[in-house]
Amino acid sequence: MICGNKFARCFKQQLDQAASTKMSAAARLGRRTLATVASPRPLITTAVILNRSPILTRSPSLFERAYYAYQARIRRALHNPFPYDFYFKQGSLLEKRFIQEERKRERRAFGPSFGAQEDVSEEERAATKAALDTLAQQEGEGEDLLPRVHPSDSNRDYQSLDRKGRRNIYLLLQTLESGRDVWRFPRGTLQKEELLHEAAQRDLQTECGEYMDSWIVSRKPVGVYKPTVSNGSPEELTFFFKAHIMAGQCRPQGESVKDFAWLTKQEVESRVDGKYWSGIRDMLSDY
Amino acid sequence: MCPSVVPTVERSVVRFGRAPRITKHLRRDRRTNLPQPHVNVVTRDFAPSRLEDHYYATLRDDLMYMTYKHENPETRKKPREIRLKFDPDDPYTKNRKNPPVGGSQLGRKPAPLVTPENVLRLETISIHTMVKEAISNKSNILGAIMALRALTGETHKGGGRHAVEGIQIVKGKKSVGGWIRPGVPVGVKVDLKGQSMYDFLGTLVEFVLPRMRDFNGVVLPPQSSSVNSPSAVSGVVSFGLPPSAMGLFPQVEVNLDAYPKSYGMHIHFVTNATGLGAQNRARTLVSGFQIPFLRR
Repeated sequence: MICGNKFARCFKQQLDQAASTKMSAAARLGRRTLATVASPRPLITTAVILNRSPILTRSPSLFERAYYAYQARIRRALHNPFPYDFYFKQGSLLEKRFIQEERKRERRAFGPSFGAQEDVSEEERAATKAALDTLAQQEGEGEDLLPRVHPSDSNRDYQSLDRKGRRNIYLLLQTLESGRDVWRFPRGTLQKEELLHEAAQRDLQTECGEYMDSWIVSRKPVGVYKPTVSNGSPEELTFFFKAHIMAGQCRPQGESVKDFAWLTKQEVESRVDGKYWSGIRDMLSDY
Repeated sequence: MCPSVVPTVERSVVRFGRAPRITKHLRRDRRTNLPQPHVNVVTRDFAPSRLEDHYYATLRDDLMYMTYKHENPETRKKPREIRLKFDPDDPYTKNRKNPPVGGSQLGRKPAPLVTPENVLRLETISIHTMVKEAISNKSNILGAIMALRALTGETHKGGGRHAVEGIQIVKGKKSVGGWIRPGVPVGVKVDLKGQSMYDFLGTLVEFVLPRMRDFNGVVLPPQSSSVNSPSAVSGVVSFGLPPSAMGLFPQVEVNLDAYPKSYGMHIHFVTNATGLGAQNRARTLVSGFQIPFLRR
């Protein structure tokens, strides 16, 4: 959120700056010049930050768990009286189950000695327990939940979309650029008379294949990055677009793309080079 | 020498120590004879909320990118100044209502600039249901109250919070011959905020809407409908559920036969969107929580 704002502002500054330099150049010259005098047009590329949103809930910290337990306890102590007689028929199995579960929750909140002992005979208690157990079995209670750690986490399978379920992960490509291995987001150049978001969609397909259902969030770029260029060559501008992956998987196309990985923000930092990182850092989510 | 190993005691965070012994007794309420704590005890969130996390981790960023408009607040066109109905310098009109000529221009106010502070967010979910039989017999309203209590878990001043009003009874305002009289209870409503709002929304989109056979989505108005109407600029998305949907809520499903009948309900999602196109932006937000929309 904050990063989004920063980039919106940064993008705006860029535009304003560009406008003002153009204005001042025109004012300074004050006359028509030959076309050859103008600096070469900047090379515009679009890149896509393809994101897989969290698929698991966040694990609360120790402090959060203690806080929630404390609040739940106060709430239980203060709650308005519950009208048993409306919601349950007297003596029904549902009522018995509710009372039993409620007693369990109260003991958990207020300690094992909380609440009056029920004065029922041993046979009656056993009969109720048996009836409740059959009810629970019929309703399929006690089924095991799936583990929160996926095999791809333990296997360090960076290409799996199931890894790091609690975090936002981003698609990064490993490419060969002027003889060097570089990790970067999928990108491509803008063609003539093409809109930025259209170019982003096309470039994503050319690099990552068409076996992927993706959605580009907005037509506006979420950030811009200016790599350093050698003297004399035209200025470069990379506009970033945020996208979500809905289904499918990346299948790298072309010879320049060697590998891909789905990475969290911290893992992205360890792979990309320093200048690129400082340009993209604020576009990625900390969660 | 081997380093001394400090045994790590796994302390439970949900268990608490013994309550302190009461040395000075609390003042008691004269009417109820219940002890009165000398501080106002208020409870806050008592469980993590999945949909709230989803909003802050994913939806909020996306919504800002989608609704962002690149404009300069200084160069923004100023609203046309419209003469007030009465002379503002006249002492007679001082502190009186003085609207502009031709109404409040509500439907013509442009949307505010998109800033990180006013990104779309869900503020309230309001549920209400009308019980026609309550006009002839007040006690008929009881079933609807209990149904909404079970659905939302809201009670009057629940958790010690004075702003939580719980289930409220809606009374008639006007006298319409043969139908309604002022002061007669005709329905119930409840406003949900925060944790209970997200809980209700989660139940709705995961248990109820997928199981409704004849529901394909909230029907959008035709494209030719006015963009200046009060509903189009208010930032509220509303739809209704038929009485048959009440039995699909798991809280009600468990003992459906306890209720005298099924009640339908109107649901309003109140967002912070204002100005032109507010309802469309509100729909964007609500569809982010997986409420489907459908154009006829």
